[in-house]
Amino acid sequence: MPRADSALAVEDRLYSALALVRVVVTINMVGLNAYRRDNFDHPTIALAIVLGLVAWTAAAIWLYHDRARRTSVLLVADLAIAVAAMAVTPWVKSPDFNATIPGYWVMGALLAWAIHWHWKGGLVAAVALAVTDLLPRSQVDQGNYGNVFLVLIGGPIVGFMCESLQRMARERDAAEHAAAAAEERTRLARAVHDGVLQVLTMTQRRGAAAGGEWADLGRLAGEQERSLRSLIRQQDTVPTAAGGQVDLAGALEAMATAHPVRVEVATPGGAVLVDVRVATETVAAVRACLDNVLTHVGPDASAWVLAQSAPDAITVSVRDDGPGISPGRLEEAESQGRLGVASSIRGRIEDLGGTAVMESGSWGTEWELTVPLA
Amino acid sequence: MVRVMVVDDHPMWRDAVERDLQAAGHEVVAVAANGREAMARFPASAPQVVVLDLQLPDNTGVQVTSMMIEHDPTARVLILSASGEQGDVLEAIKAGATGYLVKSASSAELIDAVVRTSEGEAVFTPGLAGLVLGEFRRIADGSAADDPRDQLTDRETEILKMVATGMSYKQIAARLVLSHRTVQNHVQNTLRKLQMNNRVQLTRWAIEHGLDEEDA
Repeated sequence: MPRADSALAVEDRLYSALALVRVVVTINMVGLNAYRRDNFDHPTIALAIVLGLVAWTAAAIWLYHDRARRTSVLLVADLAIAVAAMAVTPWVKSPDFNATIPGYWVMGALLAWAIHWHWKGGLVAAVALAVTDLLPRSQVDQGNYGNVFLVLIGGPIVGFMCESLQRMARERDAAEHAAAAAEERTRLARAVHDGVLQVLTMTQRRGAAAGGEWADLGRLAGEQERSLRSLIRQQDTVPTAAGGQVDLAGALEAMATAHPVRVEVATPGGAVLVDVRVATETVAAVRACLDNVLTHVGPDASAWVLAQSAPDAITVSVRDDGPGISPGRLEEAESQGRLGVASSIRGRIEDLGGTAVMESGSWGTEWELTVPLA
Repeated sequence: MVRVMVVDDHPMWRDAVERDLQAAGHEVVAVAANGREAMARFPASAPQVVVLDLQLPDNTGVQVTSMMIEHDPTARVLILSASGEQGDVLEAIKAGATGYLVKSASSAELIDAVVRTSEGEAVFTPGLAGLVLGEFRRIADGSAADDPRDQLTDRETEILKMVATGMSYKQIAARLVLSHRTVQNHVQNTLRKLQMNNRVQLTRWAIEHGLDEEDA
């Protein structure tokens, strides 16, 4: 897979940080060698090697700065110079030397390999440096072992972390890209929907005015207009689905749109998040109310659903424009054992610990369902 | 006769509304296809009612509303919207619009809404009543201050709930044994409170951000 831009940007930043590390380890290397200048069998050659390493450090910082120059050849050369500087130590210092000439300076090459070739690069470079350090020594003390051990552990770990950073950057990029694409789709859909809605409402109005078959067409356009508008509103209140919660407002819209009775749903705007069970049972109870409207008022009835949300409870009101239920009829039906719809509505809501109250009058019949939120 | 301005980017729709209004004996003093045109033509034509589509191509429906109200506080804005995008509708109402109608309303409903708007009446749809109820709930939940001017009275809440379940003012008046006028006043009060609260919020925001101080 080709590396995405963001992964390269991460690599750039890591190499910038590495440039700083190189400067620090170079100053350290120069200082230590100057301090131990009496230990050298060949001080002139040692001076040349140290100056050479300083020069290479400057060159490496410049070379690594640009992506195009960051080739495998450069990385191999970087490591080869570090290995060579270590390898000549027994001859330049003395066969029973303690510290190598470059010392911690080799970290630069090791980290460069880890950044570029991740844990494998870190491991290969670490093994090369460890072998070069250990082979010429007649005896390995605790300090030597400690250094080699750290290099062998550190190289692959740093490499692994670089890889993770780059992968995270790529994933973040992909997520941002997906979000931007989704937003653009929504924006385009809005523009399209708006146009379609305009035409549907226009057809509806003109059809009604023309009468006859055109009125039928207008009525159909009106139905489509209502379901599309409801769909768009549901899209605006897509559930965040955090902790098993769903959007009650959206669920009510979806159910009402599909119901044969002409229903208008009013919501507080935005999502009303409740537990799945509360949403399922409340929607079922509201559907039972609407079924009741269909049975008792007929297919020409209109109904309204209002959802309200408070921190401690939700309230859903369902009203129809029918003639209402005459006083006592519900009690009469109940006493005759015909519990029917009313008990199914009450049952569902009371199971949720809520209340269902019905009022009726010349203005129609209204159910008010209140469900407490735990 | 009402002097009306129609702002809508769909020519087909603009013409239909214009024709309907003229047929009912009203005067269309200006039309505009976007927010820029609307603001340019508004001062000279001085309409009593602006019928405004919120989905304008330059996305300025809410802005146009507040600029018009600022320019002429007696002007009335009636929002006409196809998709009923909830956030925008609420923002336009808070900015000073006093009516909201979905485009699927019939010609007769539109004419009626324009006349009522010109008389200063608040024109609500059930959907708008639901949004306003929700907004007052959010205001109540969000603020510790118990300013009665920020809250609906029980009667106002009761009436808004009835509007939100599709009842006409006449039905509400009969059910609550109130006069038609009283119901209207209660509904208008809810809008006034909402717009007042919006202005207070804006002022508070401006003070918090130092916008009330003179430029140094």
